[in-house]
Amino acid sequence: MVLRARLQHRQKRRHYVSWRGLLLAAAVLLLNMPLLWTSAASFGIVPDNTTSPPTWLLHPTDENYLEAAGFPNLLGQLETSIAISSLTTLLAIAVAYLAAYSLSRSHFMGKRLLLQSFLILASLPVIAYVIPEKNLLQLAHLYDTLVGITLAEAALYAPLAVYVLHGYLAQLSPEHEEAARLDGAGTFQIIWRVALPITAPGIAATAVIVFVLSWNQLLMPFVLTANHVQTIPVMLSTFFVYERELDWETAAAALVVSLLPLAAFVAAAHRTLEQFSLDVARQED
Amino acid sequence: MLTRRQRMLLFVPLALLLVPFLLLPALFGFLTSFTNYAPFQPGQLVRFVGLDNYLSILHDDTFRTAVRNVTVFATASVSAELIGGFGLAYLLRESFRGRSIVRFLLLLPWVVSPVATGIMWHFLVNRESGMINYWPALLGLPSLPYLLTFELALPTAIVTEIWRKMPFVMFLVLPGLLAVPADQWDQARLEGLPVLGQIRHVALPRLRLLMLTITLLLLGDALGNFENIMMLTGGGPGSATTTPGFYSYQKAFVAFNWAAGTTSGWFIVAAVLLVGLVYVIMARRGAD
Repeated sequence: MVLRARLQHRQKRRHYVSWRGLLLAAAVLLLNMPLLWTSAASFGIVPDNTTSPPTWLLHPTDENYLEAAGFPNLLGQLETSIAISSLTTLLAIAVAYLAAYSLSRSHFMGKRLLLQSFLILASLPVIAYVIPEKNLLQLAHLYDTLVGITLAEAALYAPLAVYVLHGYLAQLSPEHEEAARLDGAGTFQIIWRVALPITAPGIAATAVIVFVLSWNQLLMPFVLTANHVQTIPVMLSTFFVYERELDWETAAAALVVSLLPLAAFVAAAHRTLEQFSLDVARQED
Repeated sequence: MLTRRQRMLLFVPLALLLVPFLLLPALFGFLTSFTNYAPFQPGQLVRFVGLDNYLSILHDDTFRTAVRNVTVFATASVSAELIGGFGLAYLLRESFRGRSIVRFLLLLPWVVSPVATGIMWHFLVNRESGMINYWPALLGLPSLPYLLTFELALPTAIVTEIWRKMPFVMFLVLPGLLAVPADQWDQARLEGLPVLGQIRHVALPRLRLLMLTITLLLLGDALGNFENIMMLTGGGPGSATTTPGFYSYQKAFVAFNWAAGTTSGWFIVAAVLLVGLVYVIMARRGAD
């Protein structure tokens, strides 16, 4: 009887696996079709839907890329985006890590509420405060500077980082740290030599997420910078808004060029990303 | 253990970042929303105007439409993202060859920036050369109406938002699902529970807080929606897709009405705080 139940179970399971494969294949195809369509268009491969059945205009070309490469200062914007996103990530993670460490090693009334307020801060959209922020940055002479936008973006992403990093740190058993303390290590040595290496995978995953969010952030650099500092999303938006007559194929090439560096980065880091976890079950103590 | 002083000290760098670059701007916006402060007209005497800014915004039909739009937008997009993202994560729950690649491919739409998403879909819904109308034409069906008209622009914006965010929900849910012990699933399956029953009795009790947290983040993002809308429709046609975020931006930087911009921004803050309060209460209820 037991064997039979197991067998049936196994058969059911095989059935389930094939359904799952089918659904997953459909999901991958559906979700990525817009990207495939855009890549095809960037090479000049576009359908004509006015005829039935639709015909494809097949004359592959790299003209669109040449035109997109002619955008004023594309390389400069790439450099700016890399600089802002890297510095933002570094700063946000560093300050968030110290605070998260402190939180994870303290017990006080209202600690959970404090953690939750970081989460609420993290869900506060940029538009809620970016208008007065522009005014303040102008008063502080930080408007349209690399320093200003980096500090603003680091403040935008640090709350999420505190919440997530606290999750990893709270998991850590204090034994290693106690042992190091008995050996005479100071607090900052313990953070640097003991806690940091153990939580490195989690930190790396959080850093990748912050980097992607910062790279794709439009509104903040759109409002807080102008001519001196221009990121890729800002370039895309001004290009599109001011040249609304822009043709699809050139836009597609620009989209592909703007997406590729980040997609390559995420592809390279996707094993690291698997360490990312918002799992709040661990945040409960 | 850390001394009290050390604990405080470790918080200083974060405070130095958050106070001037997040809390102060928000507070400054809040205070000036009760005045006629206008940085674009220097030299004007700043005076207290009470609730005037709030009242004039509440009487603005565009703002009221924007609130209605964002309510529809947030409700529809967030629920679809949660359900779809959970479903995708569920499909990835059991290990198989190539799962890592599939996981990456399913995350890819989220890597596309909101700006790029807006621009891309603007062209993909084009009737002559876009992706959407290709399929009815291929199958000999009558072609679809243009999807960015007054009636259809908001649903279209919602669908593009779901396309970009559902993958991220999958990414956030999956670690939680993977943390559910395998024998609990097997047990439920041997008991003959259907898939939805398994999810309800095995996964959801454990993932309740994670799902709440994801919902909070998604709602905050949806309430402030601006970038995708600006690129896809420019808030139009008319004000069919205007959101409070878009309204704030327009008021502050296109109409140069600073007070209206910050005031409507504070409506967004208030909405997020309200959602946050509900989150705190619901999270507590689950923990007790």
